[in-house]
Amino acid sequence: MNMNLFFKEIRRNATSLLIWMIIITVLITITMSVYRTFMENQSKITGMLSLLPKGALQFKGISNFNDLLSVLGFYAANNVIYMMVLGSIFAIVLSSNILLKEEYDKTAEYLLTRPVTRSEVFLSKLAVISINVFLLNFITSLAGFICMEIVKNGPFSISSFLVLSLYTLLLNFLFGAIGLFISTLIRRAKPITTFAIGLVLIFYFIYTLSKITEGISKLGYISPFRFVDMNVISSSYKLDILHLAYFIGISILLIILSYRIYIRKDIYT
Amino acid sequence: MSLPIIDINDLSKSYGKARGIKHINLEIKEGEIFGFIGPNGAGKSTTIRILMNMIFPDSGSARIMGMDVTRETKNIKKITGYIPSDANMYSSMDVREFLNYCTGFYSIENAEKRTTELSELFELDMSRKIDELSMGNRKKVSIIQSLLHSPKLLILDEPTTGLDPLMQSVFFELLRSENKKGMTIFFSSHILSEVQSLCKRVAIIKEGKLIQIEDIDNLRKKQLKKVTIEFEGDEKKEILGIPGIESFIPAAGNIMSFMYSGNVNELVRFLTGKHIVNLMIEEPSLDEIFLHYYKS
Repeated sequence: MNMNLFFKEIRRNATSLLIWMIIITVLITITMSVYRTFMENQSKITGMLSLLPKGALQFKGISNFNDLLSVLGFYAANNVIYMMVLGSIFAIVLSSNILLKEEYDKTAEYLLTRPVTRSEVFLSKLAVISINVFLLNFITSLAGFICMEIVKNGPFSISSFLVLSLYTLLLNFLFGAIGLFISTLIRRAKPITTFAIGLVLIFYFIYTLSKITEGISKLGYISPFRFVDMNVISSSYKLDILHLAYFIGISILLIILSYRIYIRKDIYT
Repeated sequence: MSLPIIDINDLSKSYGKARGIKHINLEIKEGEIFGFIGPNGAGKSTTIRILMNMIFPDSGSARIMGMDVTRETKNIKKITGYIPSDANMYSSMDVREFLNYCTGFYSIENAEKRTTELSELFELDMSRKIDELSMGNRKKVSIIQSLLHSPKLLILDEPTTGLDPLMQSVFFELLRSENKKGMTIFFSSHILSEVQSLCKRVAIIKEGKLIQIEDIDNLRKKQLKKVTIEFEGDEKKEILGIPGIESFIPAAGNIMSFMYSGNVNELVRFLTGKHIVNLMIEEPSLDEIFLHYYKS
């Protein structure tokens, strides 16, 4: 790893990280701020929700109305789109650009002609992705935790919260690995941000579609979202070893493939 | 005998049918200022990018100071400076920040002093943002970054694009001075005159193939001018007897165009009294030189 490159990348991405942190934190805070009002009017709201098709609720990750009555259930159901979808978009946009941008901005001619190996470039940039994804998850989860502490009307399981947060981190990191991998496959460098964002949304769409349509429920397994256990209210809620292996295994596999491609890649500027 | 500073053996790289380089062999001695000329798309940048390990060769090998360019690239780059043809840097940085970032990759004693000296020489304001700089000023930054670590070998790919004539002369003077101190310079360009003014030897590349390696003095002896004369009437035939006409270039009407290796004064004397509408004596393009020397 090259520290000069690492710190330059950290500085370069700091503003973007800060903006994403603020946006997600604000969205979580706004959502959690309505929890008390929700509880005060739970009978009316539950009545309203009962009029909605079951699929529409599942689209939001709600399998049972009662899940919403617990602060953790409310948090999980309402913040999934912010922390999982937006967090994954942040991760994939960052990772798909971090190597490729040097190529299409032609700055690779100044980076790769320094006394630094391709391995060092790759590892420095990978470290930047990892730290950024971790910081985003840490800050937004902390914001979520503080919000829940403020609005809760009873205790909630901290271990379940930590497991959900870990799933979110692993999901975000997997999308980071996907972005990195795709970027190394691009021969003639051009921005792939739109494609990367689209990929996250497509995977989320496949996941939600598979949840509300029984006939294609198996299709959901092609989406990484399917491997996040959202049933946070369940008393047996814990980190599933197979799901953990899926996230870590696929992420490591994609990173190794990206590394092997990048160190032999022709860089055209 | 000392090791060549650049040693290229049977190097090939293909991008498809008509691009890339084919079986390039080249040796550059330590302390040389070596020119590498050819028209755009001839393979100059491809060769340089292989030397800088930006791209990988299909076959053959290249070594810099005995080190393989693909396997020992990090050690090579400690002692090599490079100026790319494009001057695209990190646009959000200011000049000082970019140059500090560049020096951060090396162990440079008095890096700040060296940066200041070079930026003063090129009259560059280091506080300005890179995306506010003109092409010429970006090129200055590009030149400075290549020299900060006092490299033993400097590889230049079309380095003068965008530089005004005054700064070009400052730059060439700096190159001569660094060369006297021992720096080897590999200078790629499609402008023959700048290569001629700086280099001792030159390699000519065309369509991916190395056509010729020449001492610049020999090339000067063969120096050609492209002469185009437009006559008022039909006086074209009279010019055929002038000694020094090497070959004719097709031209319409009363226009006569040819490659001329003779004395320009004699040509002008010969034309005195003729009815001439227009006379142009210019440096031929590389393509025209190639056409003259290697086809006709």
